[in-house]
Amino acid sequence: MAGEGPEKSSEEGTASAGGASGGGVRFELEKETELRFEVEAGEKVQLELLSGLAEVFGSELTRNKKYTFGSGSKIAVFTWHSCSVSLTGKTEVAYVSRDTPMLLYLNTHAALEQMRQQAERDNERGPRVMVVGPTDVGKSTVCRLLLNYAVRLGRRPTLVELDVGQSGVSVPGTVSALCIERPADVEEGFSVQAPLVYHFGSTSPGTNIKLYNKLTSCLAEVFSQRCEVNRKASVGGCVINTCGWVKGSGYQALVHCASAFEVDVVLVLDQERLYNELKRDLPHFVKVVLLPKSGGVVERNKDCRREARDEKIREYFYGFRGVSFYPHAFDVRFSDVRIYKIGAPSIPDSCLPLGMSQDDTQLKLVPVTPGRDLTHHVLSVSCAEDEGAEAGASGPAAQRRGILESPVCGFIVVTAVDTQAQVMTVLSPAPRPLPRHTLLIMDIRFIDLK
Amino acid sequence: MAESAQRETSELPQFCSEWLSPSELFAARSRCHRIPARGQKDFLPDGSALQRERLERSLEEHWSLVSEERVERLGALVQAEWIPSKRVVELRTPAGKFWQTMGFSEHGKQFLLPEEALYLMECGSVQVFLHGLPLSIQEGYEMFLSPSTVTLQQYEVFSHLKRLGYIVTRFEPSCVLSHYERTLNLPVQRDRQGRALKRKRSHSPHTDEQEGEESTEPPDHEAKNQRFDPENHPDSLTEEKDQGEVEDKPVAMESTSDAVLARNWWVDRSPRSPMSPTRSQAPRWDFFTITFPDLGARGPLSPLVAPDPTVLPGELSVSECELTPWLQRLNLRKERLSRREQEREQARRRYQRSVNDDKEVRRCGNWAEYQELLRRRRRHHGQRDRPPHLWESTVKPLVQPGQHTSPGELLDKISIIKPSRLLDGAARLEEGADEWKISFDVFQPDTVAEFKKSKPGKPYSRLCVCSFEGPVPDLRVLKQLAFQSGDIPVTFAVVDHGDISFYCFKDFQLPTDVSH
Repeated sequence: MAGEGPEKSSEEGTASAGGASGGGVRFELEKETELRFEVEAGEKVQLELLSGLAEVFGSELTRNKKYTFGSGSKIAVFTWHSCSVSLTGKTEVAYVSRDTPMLLYLNTHAALEQMRQQAERDNERGPRVMVVGPTDVGKSTVCRLLLNYAVRLGRRPTLVELDVGQSGVSVPGTVSALCIERPADVEEGFSVQAPLVYHFGSTSPGTNIKLYNKLTSCLAEVFSQRCEVNRKASVGGCVINTCGWVKGSGYQALVHCASAFEVDVVLVLDQERLYNELKRDLPHFVKVVLLPKSGGVVERNKDCRREARDEKIREYFYGFRGVSFYPHAFDVRFSDVRIYKIGAPSIPDSCLPLGMSQDDTQLKLVPVTPGRDLTHHVLSVSCAEDEGAEAGASGPAAQRRGILESPVCGFIVVTAVDTQAQVMTVLSPAPRPLPRHTLLIMDIRFIDLK
Repeated sequence: MAESAQRETSELPQFCSEWLSPSELFAARSRCHRIPARGQKDFLPDGSALQRERLERSLEEHWSLVSEERVERLGALVQAEWIPSKRVVELRTPAGKFWQTMGFSEHGKQFLLPEEALYLMECGSVQVFLHGLPLSIQEGYEMFLSPSTVTLQQYEVFSHLKRLGYIVTRFEPSCVLSHYERTLNLPVQRDRQGRALKRKRSHSPHTDEQEGEESTEPPDHEAKNQRFDPENHPDSLTEEKDQGEVEDKPVAMESTSDAVLARNWWVDRSPRSPMSPTRSQAPRWDFFTITFPDLGARGPLSPLVAPDPTVLPGELSVSECELTPWLQRLNLRKERLSRREQEREQARRRYQRSVNDDKEVRRCGNWAEYQELLRRRRRHHGQRDRPPHLWESTVKPLVQPGQHTSPGELLDKISIIKPSRLLDGAARLEEGADEWKISFDVFQPDTVAEFKKSKPGKPYSRLCVCSFEGPVPDLRVLKQLAFQSGDIPVTFAVVDHGDISFYCFKDFQLPTDVSH
C-alpha cells in the first residue's frame, strides 16, 4: 500500500512525510480517548498502530499495519485501553479528545446484545434497531459501530441502508440491505457481497416519498422472509440507517419504516424534538433512546456530499480507490432495452379521474425514449424478467408493478448516445450482454473523469 | 340464326306473334315509356271528389300500362320452356345478352331460374312455353313463384334490384368461406357454378333444385366440420381438459378457501384477544433489566452500570458511565425550521396526543397486535364515514372509494352491460328457424362488365328478404345471419306491398382510451 506512488500528491506528500522524519507524527492515547483527524483535500494519510489496542468505528486496528486514508476522510481512532499511533501525511486537523460518547454507544451495544441473548434463549427474533437523527450527527458511524461490535461477538446482523443520499452499501439513489458477516474493513468499510438493492432513483426521499415508503416495506418483507429461514440472521436482528430528513414527510417515512420493520429500539441521535415526537407516535413497546452525537462529527457541505456520491459510483465501477476493477464499455442498441422512469409528474387532485389517487402516478412506470439527454445518467438494471417487460409494453400493469418491486442486479452509466445509429455506449461492470433488459433511470449523473 | 328461330316459331302454334304493319310498329316504338309516378300516398279516404278522381286516374294509368301490348323483335325474343318437375326454365333458342349475369348451363343445355325467367318475361326478353303454349306474365307469377323456389316478396326484391342494375344471384351457403378458412387465409374457392354442375351431374337436377338450400346444407356442414376438425378437435380436447380442471379446481379452491377461512377466523379472533386484558401479551423485551443509555428519560439519570464484559467485544471491561454531563451536549446540531414548520410543530405539540394515551394501544404488546388494531380502526373509520343512505340500503354504489386505481378498471366495473360484437358467440348458435335465411347475393352494377358467373367474386352485400307484416328479426337471427355471411354485410330487404326498404346493422366499437 505504502509503496504505491500516489499520482497527485507525489511531491508534497513525500515532502511532508520527509518532514515528519519517516515515522510521521506520533500520538499517545490514554484510556477511552480518541484521535480525530481529517485528511486534506487531494492528500493521503497513513495511520499505523504502534502499540496497544485501538479501533476505528468498531473495527480493530492491526499493529504495525499501515492504513491509508484518502482525501477528505474523517477518521476517529478510539482506544479502550491506551495506545500509541503515528500519522504520516498532511492532515487538516488532528487532535486527541477525551470527550467521546463511545461509552454510551458501547452501553447501547451491550443492551442490544442482551436482547440478542434473550432472543437466542427464547427462540425469538433479535432486536431491530433504527438509527435516526438529522444530517451530520453520525448515524452511519453509529450503525457501523453497532454492527461491528455485534459481528465481533459472532452475530450476523443485517445493515438496512435507507439513506438514499449517502448509501454505505451501494451506489446512491438506492435502498439496500446487507448481511454483515465480518467487521468492516478499516479503510473500505463493510465488504459488499450480494447486497439486496432496490432502485430509488434520486438522492432525496422527498422526490418520491411514496416509492420510498414502498421500497422500505419491500425491504422489510424480504428481511422478514430471510429471518424466517435463517435463524442466525433472525437473532442478529438489523440496524437500519435512515436519512437525515426528519421533518414533515421525512418524519412520516421514519414512522412508516418503524412500523414496516417492526423495530424494537429507535436510537435518536442528538435531537430532543425528534425523540419526543417518536415517543409520542410509536407504541409503548418500542424503546426510543436519545443519544448524544459525537463531538468529532463534522458537517459536510453539499459539494462534499456530491463528491462522496461520485466516489461511491466510481468505487462501484473501478473498485476501491479505482484500482481493483476494470469495467467494460460497449454499445447497447435502443431496441434491445426498455428504459423506464418511476413516477409520472404529479397532477392536481381535481384533474384526476374518480377513484384515483396521486400515489398511482408516483408509482407509475413511465417509458423513457432514449435520447441525448440520457448521457451520463446512471441506470439500474432491474432483475425483473424480460418477458414480463415485453408483455408490459402492451399492458398488464401487474408485471410493471413487478419491475418496481424487483431488486436491482447492477448499474450501468451511459457514456455516449448516438441517436442516429440508435445506440448508446455504456460503462458496465460486466462484459456484454446485459443480464436483463429492463433499465430504470436515475436522476443521478456520473461523469467518468478520473 | 334469326331465320332458324323464325322457322322454329313458325312450327309452333302462334298465339302472340302477330305481324305488325310498319305504322303500327312505329306507333309502338314511339310510345311513351314513362312509368306513371305513384305520387303522394293517401292514408285514409277523405271522401273528397279530388281524392277519388286522383285514385281513379292513377288506377287507370296502371291498367293501361298493364294492358298495353308490348312490342318486341321476334329475333330478340328468346324462347324457353318451363319444366315444372325441375322448376327451371330451359332455353330453346340461344340466350341473349342477359346470359352474362343470369342462368346456368347443364348437360349442354341452358337453364334459367324461375325468378330470372319471370324477370326476363317482364322485360320482354324471354317467352316461356308450357306444353307448347306460351305463358302470360300472370301465369308466370302463378307458376314460378312458390315457397320452394322464390316467394313473391323475394321476387319483388329481386326484380327491384335487377331493374336498378344490380346483379343478383341466389345465395349459396356452401360458397361462404368458413371462419376457419378465413383465418387461414385460404385462396378463395368460388367455383360455385362448377361445384353446382358437378353435383347436378351426379344427381338429378330435380332433387337438387327441389331441396334447394336444404340439400346443400348438410354436406356443407359435414365439410365444415371436417375443415374445422384440426382446430375444433384440440379445442374440444382442451375444453374438456379445462372442464376437468375447472371441476378439480373448485375442490382445491374450496379446501384452500376453507383453510383460509379457518385461518382468518383464527386470526380475527386472536387480535381481538388484546381487547380482554387477561389475554394481553406482555412486551417481549423488559427494558427495566435491559438498560439503554437514554438521555431523554425523565427523572434523575442514574449512572450506567458497567456492562457485563461477556456482551462486549474483545472482553472489554469498562467502568460506570455518568450520564448527566451529556445532557448539556444535546441538540448540538441546530435545526432550521421555517416559520410554517414551526407553527405546525407547535400545533402538533399542543393538540396531538401520544398514541400511548390510548388504552387499547397500551394493551398491545407487540407490533402485530398494534398493526391489527390500526387496521381494524381504519376499516371501522372508513365505514363510519359513509353516509348510511348510500351504503346501508339494498341498492349500493357499484364502486367502493379507493377500490380501483385506474379509470379503465373503474369503467370496467361500472359497465353493467358489457359491450359485445355482433359476431360474439355466433359460432356457437345452433341453426335457427328456417324463416330467416339469406336469399340473394348482390353485386354492384358497375361490376357488370367484368362479372363472370363462374367467378362472381365477393358480393357487395347479401340480402335477407322479409316482410313488414312478419316478425322483426331478433338478436339471435342477426348473429346467425351475420356469422353465416362472414365478412360480407347482410342487408334486410323489407317488403311492404311492393315498397322495399333496406336496412342493415353496422357493427362498431365505442373507442375506449382509458386502458391505463
